[in-house]
Amino acid sequence: MAEFSLPANSKVRKDGRIFKAPAGAKNVRVFKIYRFDPDSGGNPRLDTYEVDMDACGPMVLDALIKIKNEVDSTLTFRRSCREGICGSCAMNIDGKNGLACVSACADVKHDIKIYPLPHLPVIKDLIPDLTNFYAQYASIKPWLQTRTAAPPDRERLQSKEDQEKVDRPSACILCACCSTGCPSYWWNSDRYLGPAALLAAYRWIVDSRDEAAGERLDYLEDPFRLYRCHTIMNCTEACPKDLNPAKAIGEIKQMMAHRRL
Amino acid sequence: MSLRSPLGRVAGLGSAKDGTAHWWAQRVSAVALIPLTLWFMFSLLALPALDYATVRAWLAFPLSGFLAVLLVAVLTYHSYLGTIEIVEDYVPSAGMKIFTLLVLRFLYVLVGGASIFAILRVAFGS
Amino acid sequence: MSEYKLIDHTYDVVVVGAGGAGLRATFGLAEAGLSTACITKVFPTRSHTVAAQGGISAALGNMGADDWRWHMYDTVKGSDWLGDQDAIEFMCKEAAAAVIELEHYGVPFSRTEDGRIYQRPFGGMTTHYGKGIAQRTCAAADRTGHAMLHTLYQQSLKHEANFFMEYFALDLIMENGECRGVIALDMSDGTLHRFRAHMVIIATGGYGRAWFSCTSAHTCTGDGGGMALRAGLPLQDMEFVQFHPTGIYGAGCLITEGSRGEGGYLTNALGERFMERYAPNAKDLASRDVVSRAMTVEIREGRGVGTLKDHIDLHLEHLGPAVVKERLPGIAETARIFAGVDVNKEPIPVLPTVHYNMGGIPCNVHGEVITRVNGSDTVVRGLMAVGEAACVSVHGANRLGSNSLLDLVVFGREAARHCARIVKQDTAHRAFKADAGDSALARLDRLRHAKGSRRTADVRLGMQRVMQSDAAVFRTAESLKDGKHKLAEVFASFADVQVTDRSLVWNTDLIETLELDNLLGQAVATMHSAENRTESRGAQAREDFPNRDDHHWMKHSLCWVDAKGATQFDYRPVHLNTLTDDVESIPPKARTY
Repeated sequence: MAEFSLPANSKVRKDGRIFKAPAGAKNVRVFKIYRFDPDSGGNPRLDTYEVDMDACGPMVLDALIKIKNEVDSTLTFRRSCREGICGSCAMNIDGKNGLACVSACADVKHDIKIYPLPHLPVIKDLIPDLTNFYAQYASIKPWLQTRTAAPPDRERLQSKEDQEKVDRPSACILCACCSTGCPSYWWNSDRYLGPAALLAAYRWIVDSRDEAAGERLDYLEDPFRLYRCHTIMNCTEACPKDLNPAKAIGEIKQMMAHRRL
Repeated sequence: MSLRSPLGRVAGLGSAKDGTAHWWAQRVSAVALIPLTLWFMFSLLALPALDYATVRAWLAFPLSGFLAVLLVAVLTYHSYLGTIEIVEDYVPSAGMKIFTLLVLRFLYVLVGGASIFAILRVAFGS
Repeated sequence: MSEYKLIDHTYDVVVVGAGGAGLRATFGLAEAGLSTACITKVFPTRSHTVAAQGGISAALGNMGADDWRWHMYDTVKGSDWLGDQDAIEFMCKEAAAAVIELEHYGVPFSRTEDGRIYQRPFGGMTTHYGKGIAQRTCAAADRTGHAMLHTLYQQSLKHEANFFMEYFALDLIMENGECRGVIALDMSDGTLHRFRAHMVIIATGGYGRAWFSCTSAHTCTGDGGGMALRAGLPLQDMEFVQFHPTGIYGAGCLITEGSRGEGGYLTNALGERFMERYAPNAKDLASRDVVSRAMTVEIREGRGVGTLKDHIDLHLEHLGPAVVKERLPGIAETARIFAGVDVNKEPIPVLPTVHYNMGGIPCNVHGEVITRVNGSDTVVRGLMAVGEAACVSVHGANRLGSNSLLDLVVFGREAARHCARIVKQDTAHRAFKADAGDSALARLDRLRHAKGSRRTADVRLGMQRVMQSDAAVFRTAESLKDGKHKLAEVFASFADVQVTDRSLVWNTDLIETLELDNLLGQAVATMHSAENRTESRGAQAREDFPNRDDHHWMKHSLCWVDAKGATQFDYRPVHLNTLTDDVESIPPKARTY
């Protein structure tokens, strides 16, 4: 059966370290952060950091950086653009997947618990291994496929209406919040492509310039690759860019049916 | 351990070129179940009594017997499709999966077949 | 050094960096059949090109008459005549083909009614040599960089390019003034990788994080510039740092110039559209340096908005929700999250914020790195640079908005083409010298075990504060001298740095320290170059030398920084000549908008 509890080596130890706020801090928030040290080989633990929010930016990423800069420089996480467009700082904050850089601490009412994205191998602290996720993206051949030669001296034409179909789906930032928030992906990430890769496939299927919709659907025609989606909708709920992978998958399924009817 | 490339792992054994039939069948059977279930419920409510003789007489009526057989067949089929999904979701190992699917298949044929046989027996009154 | 496992690789070409320029070069090389590796410290779509918003310039003429010569004129004028006109001609002439190629790759550009690529007005972009306002900036809503970067990565996947992801490049491997390869750390397991190549292409982007407030990502630490300095190479025009007029007050996040291109405007505390005074023709769409200076003057003279009178308002309310939704959806989102503002109802608080480094590794129009030997330009064999890391120089003293995405693809593509011309596929490589990469390893080991008293973040903050206050929009001899002095102290304090994490697996404490090392050299080069240049030109505004001085300073400054933070200068002439006879050289004149 699928494993419903954490494997023994992933159970979180109870003896995390506690870092107190500096004396005199008035506006203290408590951050409980998942720590895993691959060198020690031990189980992960939850470390507790008290942060003086009067001397900290509003976002969860601000707090993580403050902790790394001032309290514990071994705390490890990915980050880059800090404005929600690069997708580096995806993590599980207060039980929900999201980008730390655009998640306000004030939106969490109690202690702020931060874990890596769920159900991925953890390399260190908040850094998961996204190799499989990226390979799934590559597997759908996410590039324009045509057989009609492009006009030599101008762009391929596309109507505004047709552009609108790809406008939102192409705004995906590959942060993996959706895929790692999907229970179906948790159980079958080795064979189910997950919402992010399927949204990417959809983006090309509906692109009026692309001429490989059939081949793309052929690739997805599989009980696991596509049909592990059970319309749970966690993907859409989790997307920090307000995209709708669930709807895209639904439309792929409709297209699958359409081409047989 | 395998040193196979991540893309090779994802590509796996390729597309099964299947899945849509299952998805479609699940939806078609679900749609079919709506009128059948409603008919069944209202018919039972409309019966003057629920004793053996009344129900038997009702089933002996050709349309009722036929629809009852249909209901059981579609219900079994729909349930079978759904249960397969659950097994595919939660049973990762190939051996266990094949075994479970085999048992399920037999079980559903058994239960469905027996139910239909029972209805026919009642309907034809032997 | 036995603790470090060294793995050797050999490729025809190695690209360092996977932003727009690095990716364009990478798959261009793969397409040409050269064995190519791309080393990148982040997954490619996390590179900072992704954050570019407004668009990419090209005289397609989809939305009104346009000509690449007008684009060239604007770029030369925008550069305040410090840009090399041969390179600018090349870029503007190649622009249309480069953008059309991007569209053919699948970039989801916004469209006009007749299905062409949508183009919007941008600062400094004019028609008929300054007479009208051009619509030249090709846009995919307000996430053009995202659309481009993802498409370029997709093309790299299509061409099956080799990536070494989350590898941090430590140093170039130089032998007798020639680049032989590069050494990099695999962040995921701590193994060291020595790449031998006929050509190394640096595409590592800018060093905006040397400042306290910048629109740049945390990863914009100018690692290529740092490597070049350590390799004994100079950096060019480092005094020219672009302040984007509209960074969100406080957070520093970028609000695209496209918001003004779509009709947005700036006001001061009096509600006055003050740009009309500073640039009567172009107004809010004047060049970025002009707008940033105007905003700074307004704030200084007490007309800033807010309780502290320390910022400016950017208005989009009059555009209407439909335009905002179609053309500026990302801006609306960013303003809501980082300024708590509904752009349909209230203005966005903005401030000039460090955005782009015009300076970088000097190179020619093909991307080959140039240094100065005995008073003349000399190509550094085996080394190229592209993108923001490079200084071709197409941006001169000030870059025009939407010319950087163009720079990336044009010169990324040209670097690949030039490699295809000069690098013979699969030719044998000479063996490395026995000690190749040893100095990089020693530096890594020293920093990894650094037991000083100063946290990396402390030293970095010190540097950022000095740069913020003294390498600012306006500069004086006094502020720069003071800045130099304080920066020297920060530089010296790096010797006392402390790294706590000793691991080799994802040791971001160590990586940030290595990045700081890269930043410091470039911060020094910037401050010293700014002090050295006693004129005002483009982004360099010296209050003690308010005028452009073509007689003494129409030249590129080259700055070397040694291991102790001492600098040395030389100069290169500005190329006023054009590349071909298709266009005439644009003679210097007063720059007004």
